[in-house]
Amino acid sequence: MSTPRLPVTVVGGYLGAGKTTLVNHVLRSSDERIAVIVNDFGEISIDEDLIVAADSDKLTLANGCICCTLADGFAAALMQIRSAGTLPQRLLIEASGVADPTQIAAYGHTPGLRLDAVVVMADAEQVRRQADDRWVADTVRMQLAAADLLVVNKIDLLDDARKADDLCDWLAGLSAGATVVRASRAAVPIDVLLGPRSARDTASARERPAPEGAAAPGWHAVEDLFESQTVVLKAPIGMPVIEALLANLPDAVVRLKGLVQAVPPASESDANARETADATAYLIEAVGKRTSMTPHATDPTQPPPRWAISLISHKGALPPNWLQARLRPDR
Amino acid sequence: MGTNEPFVIYPARRVITINPAFPFGDAVAVAGDRILGVGSTDELASWGEHRIDDCFAEHVIMPGFIEAHCHVMSGGLWNSTYVGFFDRRDPQGLLWPGCTSIDDVLERLAKAAADMTDDSQTLLAWGLDPIYFPGERLVASHLDTVTGDRPTLILHASGHLATINSALMDRCGIDETATSPGVARGADGLPNGELHEPAGMMLAGEAFADMMKANRTEQSRWRYASEARNAGHTLLTDLGTTQLWDPDQLSNWKKVTSDPAYPARVMVAMSNLFGGTADPAELAELCVQLKSEQTDKLRFGIVKLILDGSIQGFTARISWPHYYKPPPGHIGNGMWLTAPDQMADLVDPYHRAGLTVHCHCNGDEATEAFVEAVEQVLERCPRWDHRHTVQHCQLTTPDQYRRMAALGMCANIFSNHIYYWGDQHRDVTVGPERAARMDACATALASGVSFSIHSDSPITPLGHLQTAWCAVNRVTASGQVLGPDERIGVPDALRAITIEAARQIKMDGEIGSIEAGKLADFAVLEDDPLAVDPMALRDIGVWGTVLGGVPQPAQISDS
Ligand SMILES: [Zn+2]
Ligand SMILES: [Zn+2]
Repeated sequence: MSTPRLPVTVVGGYLGAGKTTLVNHVLRSSDERIAVIVNDFGEISIDEDLIVAADSDKLTLANGCICCTLADGFAAALMQIRSAGTLPQRLLIEASGVADPTQIAAYGHTPGLRLDAVVVMADAEQVRRQADDRWVADTVRMQLAAADLLVVNKIDLLDDARKADDLCDWLAGLSAGATVVRASRAAVPIDVLLGPRSARDTASARERPAPEGAAAPGWHAVEDLFESQTVVLKAPIGMPVIEALLANLPDAVVRLKGLVQAVPPASESDANARETADATAYLIEAVGKRTSMTPHATDPTQPPPRWAISLISHKGALPPNWLQARLRPDR
Repeated sequence: MGTNEPFVIYPARRVITINPAFPFGDAVAVAGDRILGVGSTDELASWGEHRIDDCFAEHVIMPGFIEAHCHVMSGGLWNSTYVGFFDRRDPQGLLWPGCTSIDDVLERLAKAAADMTDDSQTLLAWGLDPIYFPGERLVASHLDTVTGDRPTLILHASGHLATINSALMDRCGIDETATSPGVARGADGLPNGELHEPAGMMLAGEAFADMMKANRTEQSRWRYASEARNAGHTLLTDLGTTQLWDPDQLSNWKKVTSDPAYPARVMVAMSNLFGGTADPAELAELCVQLKSEQTDKLRFGIVKLILDGSIQGFTARISWPHYYKPPPGHIGNGMWLTAPDQMADLVDPYHRAGLTVHCHCNGDEATEAFVEAVEQVLERCPRWDHRHTVQHCQLTTPDQYRRMAALGMCANIFSNHIYYWGDQHRDVTVGPERAARMDACATALASGVSFSIHSDSPITPLGHLQTAWCAVNRVTASGQVLGPDERIGVPDALRAITIEAARQIKMDGEIGSIEAGKLADFAVLEDDPLAVDPMALRDIGVWGTVLGGVPQPAQISDS
C-alpha cells in the first residue's frame, strides 16, 4: 500500500459561527487539492467564484476537486469524489449547525482516511448566549467540547481586549484541551488549520528530495499571531523521545506535524544501530488534545520522503530552538 | 345525475359513513369513480338505471383508511428478509411470524440463505430489535453459524444500527485495527459485527447501499401500495423520503400511479432532507409547480420538516427533566436535526406559498419549537386554514395542544408507540408519568385539535385497525394499559383514521367520508368496528378496498 491515507478535517460549530466562511477561506488560500463534503441537509454554499461547474448536488471546484453533500450518505459522497478524476489531498467535512462534530469525525475512521482535526467555530459575540440558550445550550456545549482547534471567530466585534481574553479563557475551559485561536472573518492561517506546511509537504505522496544540509531549524512567522519551527531529521530518532515530545506539549503549541523514522528503545543508546533498516516510519501529529502516531507507508519506487517535524505556536511563547532541544534530550 | 353510465349499488351489512349528518346506510351507490349516494337500496335505486352488486352484502363498508404518515421505504424493505419481533404481513399477504428469540432470527436467516441461488449474493435482513432480547446480544459469531461464507447484513428496526457477519467484515476490511467508534467490540476487544450510526454502517459498503437503493425502485412503490390495500388503506402519505428534485424519482411516481391497477392514492411530501437544493423558497416553488401537475392518484402540497430524533433512540428533544434512564454517557437530552431558532425562517416560504408544513416532533421541546415558529410566521403573514401539522406529537403537553388549537394546527399522533415501545417508555425513556400521558389523543380531542394517528411504516406495521386499536386501548406489548385517561372511543378513532387524516393533507373535500360526490374509496371489512369488543378491533378481517370505484381485493396468502 503506497497511497497515504487522506487527511480529514471536520469543521463544526453552531449556526452562524462562520463555518462556511472558513471552508471558503480554506478553498481560496490552500495550495492543496481539497474535496468538500457538506452535511447541512443538502446545502452547499461554496463561494460562486470558486465553483467551476455545477451538476445537481455536486460542484466542481477551482482546485480541481469537488464538493458534494451527505444526502446519499458518506459512501456515495466519497465515491463521487474518487470518481472525479484527480484525487484530492484532503477531505473537508462541513458539519451542520446542530450536528455533533464527534459523530461527523467518526467518518474520518473510514479505511483510506485519517482524521486530522476537528475544527469548531464559535461566534465571539453570540457563543455565551448560545451556551445558555433554553434549547441549544447542550448542543453548543457539546460542539465546543468536541474541538481540537477552537476558532473564536468575529473577535473584532468585541470592543475590548479584556473581554476577548475572558471569552477565550472561558471557551478553553469548555473545550477541555482544545487549542483556542482567535480570528475575524474566519481568517485563520492555513498552516494552523491544516498543519504546518513543511510537514504537510513531507506527508504528501510526491516528495521533493530533502534540501542539502537542512538540519538547521527553520524559523518563520505565520502571519501576526503565530510562528513556526521545523527540524529536518538526518537520522532516525528514538521512540521514547517522540513519545515524550507528544505527551508533554505546552499549551503554546497550536499544531505539530511530522514524518519521522523511529527506532525502538533497545537500540536507541547505540548510535550505530540507528540504521534506516531498523526504523519504522510514522506520521506524528498533535492538535489540541489530539495526538497521534500512525505508521506511514513509504513507496520504494519514489524518492525517500523528507523526514522532519514542524510545529506552530503562539507568537513569542516558545524559544526558537525549542523543538530542536526536545529532539536531543541527551544533550 | 352527471353520468350516463349505469351506476352500481353495493348493499352492505352496514355502511359507516363518518358523516355525522348521515352516519349509517344500508348501501352505497357508485357512479364511475365517485359516490352517487348512501342510504337504503331503494333510495339509491331511485336515481335511475343501475346494477346491484351483492359482493359486499356481508361486509361493513367504511371510508378508505388514510395513512398520513408512512414511507415508501416500507415497500423497499421487503426485498430483504424480515427478522422483527412482531408478526408482520408482507405486501403479497404472506404472514411473517415475529422472531421472538435469537434462535428464531438465526433460523429465519438460515432458511433465507438456503433459498438463495447465487452464492455471491449478500443476505440482507431487516427489523431486528435487540431491545426485546435482554441479556444476550446477537453478534457476528451467531450469524456465522447459519450464514457461513455468505456476506450477511441485518438492519435494526431503529435504522441506526446494523449487524453483519464475519464474511462481510472480512470483505469490508473490518478487523481489530478498525479505529471507527462506529465499530462495536465484544468483551474480547474484537469487532463483534455491530455497526453503529451511518458512520459505522457505511463501513459495510455496498451491502448497506444495496438495501437503501431498493427503496427507489418501481417494485418498491407497488409493494408499498399493495401492503396498504391489504390493510384497507386507499391513500398513503409518503412523508418525505423520496427525492422529488430528482426527475427520475418523480417520473417513477408518475408512472406507477398512472397505472389503473396501482392500488392506492399517494400524497408525496416535499422534503429538504435528502439532497438537492436546501433553499426553502426554491423548494416551495417546486412544490407549487408539482401541485399544478397532480392527478387523482398522485398528490402534492405537503412539506416535511424534521426537528428532533426518536424517543427510543434517545435522540428526541424532551423538556426538563429530559430522559428518565438514558444509557451511560448520554448527555441527558436528545439532538436537534434542525436548529430551532432557524425554524420560523424555514417554515416561512412554504407558509407564504400556501403549502402545509408537517414537522416531525417526537419530544415536547421539538413541538414547542415548531409551535413557536408557526406563531412567528402567522404574525409575519397571517393566513387562515394552513393546517400545519405536528407529526408524531408524542410528548406534546396540554398547553401546547391549546396553543395548536388556537393557531389552527393539526396533530398526527404516533399511537402505535404505545403498543410497540410503551413498556420501554414507562420503564426507561420517559418514566411512568410522562409515558401515561404520551400520544395524548384524548387531550387533543378535548383541546379541539384535529388529529390523526399513524404507523410511520416501516417503523411499525402499516394498518389503521391496529393503529386505532392502540389509541382506543393503550395496551402495551406486555399487556398493560398505559395511561387509561388518554384512551379515546372507537368512533373518535375511526374519524382519526379517515376524515381527520384527510383534513391534515387537505383532501377532506374529496375523501375521508362516504358522501355523495366524494371519490368512491372504501375499506371493506369483515366485521363492524363499532360493534366488536374494542380489544378485537385489530382482529377484524379486511376484504380489501374499493379505490375510485374499482374493487381491490386484499392479497392474503397463508402458504
Ligand atoms: Zn418522523
Ligand atoms: Zn416518518
